[in-house]
Amino acid sequence: MSAETTPVDAGTLAQRKSKEPSFAEKFRKAFRGYPSAQIGLIGIIIFVLLAIFAPLIAPQDPYDQMRLDILDGLLPPGSKLGDGTVSLLGTDALGRDIFSAVLYGLRISLVVALVAVIVGSIIGVFMGLLAAMKAGWVETLIMRTVDLKMSFPGILLALMVLAIFGTGVDKVIFALIIGAWASETRLVRAVAMSELKKEYIDSAKLAGLSDMRIMWRYLFPNSISPVLVVLPMSISGAIGTEATLSFLGVGVPITEPSLGLLIANGNDYILSGKWWISIFPGLVLVGLVLCINVVADRLRDHANPYLRGKD
Amino acid sequence: MSELIKVENLTIAYPMADGEVFRAIDNFSMTVSRGQIVGVVGESGAGKSTIGKATLGLLDENAVIDTGGVHLDNIMVSHLEEHAQVEIRGNKVGYIYQNPMTALNPVLTIGEQIIEAIEANTNKRGAAARDYAIALLQQAEVPLPEERLEKYPHQMSGGLCQRIVFAIAICAKPDLIIADEPTTALDVTVQKAVLDTLVRLTRQENIAIILITHDMGVVSEMCDYVYVLRHGKLVESGPAEQVLQHPKQDYSRELMAAIPRIDHKVERFAVPGGLGQVADRERAIAYLMGRQTEAGEEGQPLLRVRNLSKTFETKVTALKAATSFKAVSDVSFDVFPSETMGIVGESGSGKSTVGRLILGLHTPDPGYEIVYRGREISELKTREEKLAHRKSFQCIFQDPYSSLNPRMSAGENITYPLKAHGMLGKEEARELAGDLMELVGLPRASARKMPHAFSGGERQRIGIARALSFRPDFIFCDEPTSALDVTVQAELLNLMKDLQDQLGLTLLFVSHDLAVVRQMCDRVMVMKSGEVVESGPCDKVLVDPHEAYTQGLLAAMPRFEFAPVA
Repeated sequence: MSAETTPVDAGTLAQRKSKEPSFAEKFRKAFRGYPSAQIGLIGIIIFVLLAIFAPLIAPQDPYDQMRLDILDGLLPPGSKLGDGTVSLLGTDALGRDIFSAVLYGLRISLVVALVAVIVGSIIGVFMGLLAAMKAGWVETLIMRTVDLKMSFPGILLALMVLAIFGTGVDKVIFALIIGAWASETRLVRAVAMSELKKEYIDSAKLAGLSDMRIMWRYLFPNSISPVLVVLPMSISGAIGTEATLSFLGVGVPITEPSLGLLIANGNDYILSGKWWISIFPGLVLVGLVLCINVVADRLRDHANPYLRGKD
Repeated sequence: MSELIKVENLTIAYPMADGEVFRAIDNFSMTVSRGQIVGVVGESGAGKSTIGKATLGLLDENAVIDTGGVHLDNIMVSHLEEHAQVEIRGNKVGYIYQNPMTALNPVLTIGEQIIEAIEANTNKRGAAARDYAIALLQQAEVPLPEERLEKYPHQMSGGLCQRIVFAIAICAKPDLIIADEPTTALDVTVQKAVLDTLVRLTRQENIAIILITHDMGVVSEMCDYVYVLRHGKLVESGPAEQVLQHPKQDYSRELMAAIPRIDHKVERFAVPGGLGQVADRERAIAYLMGRQTEAGEEGQPLLRVRNLSKTFETKVTALKAATSFKAVSDVSFDVFPSETMGIVGESGSGKSTVGRLILGLHTPDPGYEIVYRGREISELKTREEKLAHRKSFQCIFQDPYSSLNPRMSAGENITYPLKAHGMLGKEEARELAGDLMELVGLPRASARKMPHAFSGGERQRIGIARALSFRPDFIFCDEPTSALDVTVQAELLNLMKDLQDQLGLTLLFVSHDLAVVRQMCDRVMVMKSGEVVESGPCDKVLVDPHEAYTQGLLAAMPRFEFAPVA
């Protein structure tokens, strides 16, 4: 017996590429050659930066009632305010600077949607894994609940939740979570069921590992990719739903206006020529959702091996 | 004989993302005459299939023909336009695929598929086409051809599907058939019958065959002339008998030595096998020898199985009554300490199910008895007892591509369960993973790499290391080499024999390959449709079998004329 380490399967070793591309490389590859997706990505980055740095960028704190001057009310874009500053996008009836309000509204919309989708996905993924792992009544209970949830239109369900619990940022997030988890559960269960048939799961069972460990270390990391791909789509959906709820007046409170509420505020004035109050928050909402959807589309196509060949 | 196919200095390259060029075929030449059966052999990745595809113009879009080309009847076919190649496909060249189940369209009947091919390639239409289809099926020895025309592919066995693919391939009376691993997906008895049909069909019609295969037995039985490929390059070529029995090149010699032979049990295969660092190996062996359990008393079986049965039942639905299928019926056997017991059988014989039952992955039908080290395993109640049993009783899986957790590094795959049970600390686990990697012949440092960075054979080594990490006494091996190339298989079987000698392991070895069982096992059990047909020492059962079924299995094995034992 020789004492040296000789390479095994020298032929295959030589042919095969030694390194798996890093996440950053894969990410770059997904967007190379897709200008619309690149623009979408840049758009998302700009919107997120605007939301994060809103207090630094906004000329006015729209929540500070003391700073608002009713005499500045309903000025068109580019007007000079009482304190000498120029209002870029005009003001609303209370004299609030629309530009500042949009930045803060963007913040609320993004935070609400992100929190709801992340928490909803965590619950959904856990439920999906559990349903796949535990056959029998646990699976039946989870999957029939999913069916029940899916049989309601999303907006109706959210309205019902808010009608029961009242309004407020936390209630809106709760309503959105109720709406978000079920599709993830279905998706994850389907993926996990096919993973469960593979031999590495058998090996974990033979090692005497508990179901929870198998779920966490074996099943979860191998079932999660499709959820990550649909995540951006869920976020844009949640932003839309939140805006709808706020527009209907059952969403976030007037003291913390989101984009939807700002649009609703301007709705009364839109026929009297004061178009800027509604239009600017509306444009931002459309722009944000559009950017996310374009990026989400690209990620989904990229993750689909059937489409990848035709890229 | 005139030359039908002439491949001249063919180089096919794939440009890769990092700017390099991968040469799938490198300066390859060959000629095929009319009516000749030519074998193209090599291990996976050797470029065998690429040659077949180049002849049909079916190369992937990103493949580039660098130099040379393929001439068919003195026409350069490899550079033809798409529409001209369509003329050649089916009409002059037929293609037979590896997996007959996926080569046929599952939503069309057999008749629709054959008649479509006939109408596309000949001038027969309507009833004439139908009559011709029946004639073709008769030629391909499909029983009850008229009835089969109305059937769908899923209603037929793999062997029948492959015969139907033959019928489609010869419908236009082509000059050449390219058969790409035509029997790899089939059982050995079916393989023999299907190959016999193929040879007879082509001899009748004077059709030439390019047979692409990794199975030297098939080559030895069928081919007139052989080309041995490695990494896209021609290693050796010549008349089949000469290349197989007196190979001139080192690689072909190694390839022939790696083929498990049925007639004689060798100590080790004559293939270069890597062994790890001595110090690390010794540490690993010391660790493994430190197992707490005794192997059991001499003369007493380590594992005793009695009346094992398993019935699978489908649930009652609105449309269908419950059906049951008996996968294993009344199987009894003993496995003694430090021996290797083999289970052979064709697919569907229930051999893997037996393994899953004794491993506890399925529950057997009541009335069984599985006694391991003197204890009935269904009576193990406490967590500790169950865990101790699990540790002593491990498994090596069949498919190296799905048996490792793709999201854990190789080392983590080996030692995570031990860490999860709190038997090892983080540092110790890393040490052990490295030692075990060296023990199975992989470099210590590669324990950090993820599974996808390893080849099939290397993954299987990691699987062995994982099974060993528990310090088992008994390992169930579920066709551990069936997915591997023959030289890799030989290396792996050598490794398993080494480990068994050093550690005194008891193995239950399941395989469909009689020759592999002959090389690995002391005793063997032959199974057919869930029942044990025959069992006894390998030297007897696989040399002078009692039962007709076993005799049939042995007779169906492709006869590879081995060089006499030195």
